[in-house]
Order: sequence, then structure tokens, then C-alpha cells
Amino acid sequence: MLLDFAKLGAWRWALGFIAGLTGLFLLVPIVFIAALSFGSSRWLIFPPPDWTLKWYGELFADPRWLAAMATSAKIAVVVTVLSVVLGLLASFALVRGRFRGRDALRSLFLAPMVLPLVILAVALYAVFLRVGLSGTLAGFVIAHLVVALPFSIIAISTALETVDPAIEDAAVVCGAAPWEARWRVTIPAIGHGLLSAAVFSFLISWDEVVLAIFMATPTLQTLPVKVWTTLRTDLTPVIAAASTLLVLVTLALMLGAALLRRRGGRA
Amino acid sequence: MSLVATARRTGLAPALPAIVLLVAFFVVPVAILLARSVTEPEPGLQNYAALLGSPTYARVFFNTFFVSGVVTLTTALIAFPVAWALALMPAFWARLLFGLILLSMWTNLLARTYAWMVLLQQTGLVNRTLMALGIIDEPLVLVNNLVGVTVGMVYIMLPFMILPLYGVIRKIDPAILQAAALCGASRTQALFRVLLPLAAPGLASGGLMVFVMSLGYFVTPALLGGTSYMMLAELIVQQVQSLVNWGLGGAAAFILLVVTLGLYALQLRFAGGPPMVR
Repeated sequence: MLLDFAKLGAWRWALGFIAGLTGLFLLVPIVFIAALSFGSSRWLIFPPPDWTLKWYGELFADPRWLAAMATSAKIAVVVTVLSVVLGLLASFALVRGRFRGRDALRSLFLAPMVLPLVILAVALYAVFLRVGLSGTLAGFVIAHLVVALPFSIIAISTALETVDPAIEDAAVVCGAAPWEARWRVTIPAIGHGLLSAAVFSFLISWDEVVLAIFMATPTLQTLPVKVWTTLRTDLTPVIAAASTLLVLVTLALMLGAALLRRRGGRA
Repeated sequence: MSLVATARRTGLAPALPAIVLLVAFFVVPVAILLARSVTEPEPGLQNYAALLGSPTYARVFFNTFFVSGVVTLTTALIAFPVAWALALMPAFWARLLFGLILLSMWTNLLARTYAWMVLLQQTGLVNRTLMALGIIDEPLVLVNNLVGVTVGMVYIMLPFMILPLYGVIRKIDPAILQAAALCGASRTQALFRVLLPLAAPGLASGGLMVFVMSLGYFVTPALLGGTSYMMLAELIVQQVQSLVNWGLGGAAAFILLVVTLGLYALQLRFAGGPPMVR
């Protein structure tokens, strides 16, 4: 009765109404930012009196915003590569390894996911101040890598669990060297897991702000940090433009990954 | 077969780089921070005494739990009917709604918070719409207070409640509700005495997850909650960054950590498995 759409009666409309309203609630802020970034009103009047590219112009004319974008991209790319490589190695140990304490190791790998980010940020900040990593690219990369790695390990080890190790054995029996069997048989088989790991890692670094606030200096900051510091003083539409850019990169990456996955599935 | 065995033998070794990274930049730094709470400015528990004894900090603790509670309740109230609707909707609409949920989840956190700061400000769209509709005469204060932080946080937390609830409701056998109807239960009775109890594990696990995540949130409360609703994460940042009081900051971090881990342990018993996303 309550789980049968046709028999819900008037309740059907109530449920549909709440669902629709929630959908709108989820969508409105995102559309709103994109619209503001093209609106001509400095005071964020909505709907905007006119449309303009002025805010994007300001964004791309300001060397500080440009530098922040470049820093963000650089960090995210390095984090992605390291996170996939370390995640792949760790996943082999977790899934294929035979040693004591494997469950404890799994917990260690996943622990950064449950720790409130602010604690990790403050803890790393203290250590980085002492060892001179504060305000360096390496500092950003390490901090983001710690939070990206669990996602990478989950994505890759889930994929690896579905691959029968016997296939690798078969390749060896057929004359492949062990490393060759792994590289040419197992790695391609977990391609989708590697792709997810890469996308997650990139996005985690690209969007991350709490850790970055503590790693940043006035001369070295990521795009979210620049948005954060600007936001504390001013709600200027330039932030809307920067936010739209942040979201566009995320969307492009998610769609690209979905397309790749679909193609891989068909092949 | 010995050849095959060599190909398959994997020990701990490949995990070493990840282990070194996490020990050096996760385990050790957090341990140092917690240690500083009992060693600075001098050995002892004075930081904890200060935190738990002062009305200023008591207020922060109260805010943290109160805001998280309000956010969790509001999220649950919205998420339950939405998850229920998702389980019943025609496939097209369900996919559309899922798409919107994923879109909002993957939109940059700061971008979402910025959107609400603008939407809720004095001259913002929400106030102007309410005034145009004649519901209010004067603009309401919607930011830097409980309303602002609740709206901003509920927006972020909704997917984390809808998705687990949907998983639970989808698995409920419709025949059980048919049976309730055959036994003479009205719709309301079936909802409160059959559907809700069956969905309770989803509500409990989603609710705990949202509550725990809210406890440690920093960005959204800092931007939408204002100083009168300061929460624990903001207190930690303030102590460390502005006041350079590592002892007190570490003690606050330790309390947050203990509460978080305790609640996650509880959540594991309900649902199994940590949440996938922070």
C-alpha cells in the first residue's frame, strides 16, 4: 500500500511535491551562482539587470587569481598521480597479501576518512611549521594525499577483489614473467577502479579547503583558499565566477569519467 | 606450480609507501597534537579543566551539539519522504532526482556556502521573494545565526541521509504493507507502525553519520553561523591560529575526536562500514 505508487492515493501528490521541492532546493543554489557570475549587478541583484563577462574578465586579469588556479591544478595533478600509485600498491597488499595484521592495516588506511578534517589540518600545520613544509607545494600535496588515499584504496581494492588471481597465474604458465602478467593482465582488468581512484583523488584535492587554509601563505594558495579569504571580506561576483569555474572543472571530470567508463564497458 | 606461487605471493611490502606516508603525516601529527593538550603550557590536565569549566567554552560545546542536532533532525524530516518517493517514483523522475543529488554533492563546498550567503542576505532572493509574496514586511536576518547555519548544513548533509535511507526503504517488501492494510491498518497507522520502524535502521545510520559530520564541520558554520554560534571546529582553529594556544586547541581536538570515534563505533553497529564521503 505505502510502497505501491498506484495505491498511495492523495499521499502520492504529497510525496511528489516534497520530492520536487527538494530537487529544486538542491538545484537552485548551483544555477544561482552560475547566473550571478554572468549578471551585471555588483550587488548581486537577482535576476540580474543585464548580462556580462566582466567578472570573468576581472578573474583572469588578476595575477593572484591566476596563480591560485595554477597552484590548485598543479597540486591536484601531483596528488592524483601519487594517490593512484600508492593506492595501487597498497591495494595489492590488502587484497592479495597474506600477512598478519591485514585488518589493522585496512583500518589505518581508512582512518583519515573518519577523522574531522580540522583536527588533521591543525595537527599537520604544527608539524609542517617545524619541518619547514608550511607554505610549500610539497606541504599541500602531502596534506591532500593523506585524505585522498583512502578513496583511492577503496576504489582500487574493490576492483581488484573482482579479478581472479588465477588469470595472472595462467599468464605466467603461458610464459609471461610475473611482473609482465601483473602489468599486462591484472592492471588493465582493474582499469575502471584506477580511473575512479584518479577522478576522486583529483576532485578531493581540487575542492579541498580546510587543510589548504592551514598550508597556504599569502603568496602560495589554492583556488578554494583564495575564494575563502575573499569571501570573508566581500561577496563580490568575482567569487561567483571563480565558483562556477571550480564547479565546471568538477562536472567536466565527472562526465568525462562516466563517458570513459561507458566506452570501456562496451569494449 | 612453484613458478605460479612466486607470481602470486604478495606480502606487506607494496603497502610500505602508503604506511610510511600515513604514519609520518597522519598518526604522528595527530598524536603530537593530542600530547600537547596535556603538556602545554605545563604538564597536567589544566587545559581540559579550562575547557570544561568555563561558561564561554560550555557555550561552544552546547552550540556544537545543538546545531548538529537541529541539522540532523531537519535533514531526517526532509530525507525520509524524499527517499520514500525515490523508491516509488517512475524511473525517469527518480534518475533526475538522483542526478540532482549527485550534482549538489559534487559542487564545491565553498561554492554552495557562498550561494547560501548571497541567497539569505538582507537583500537576497529569499527575503525579496518573501516580501514580494507579502509574507513578511521587513527583511529577516537569515545569516550569522541558527537559520543560516542550519540551511547551509542541511543542504550539504541531505545526500548523506537520502542515500542510505533509500537503500533501506527500497529493500522493504511491499507485501508487508499490504498485509498491514489487509489487517485493517489505516495509511497513517501503516506509516508509523510498519514503514517507519522498518526504515529505522536507515534513519539511525544516516542520522548518526550526519550528526558526526556536523560536529566537526568548519567552513559552513564559520561563514553562515557567525560568532554567536561558534562551534568546536572553529574554536580549535581560533585557539591554534589566532591565539597560538596549542594546549587548549589540542584538548578541544581530543574531545572532538573521542566523540566522533565513539559515535562512529555506534554507527558501525547499525550499518557496518564507515561513510564513503566526508
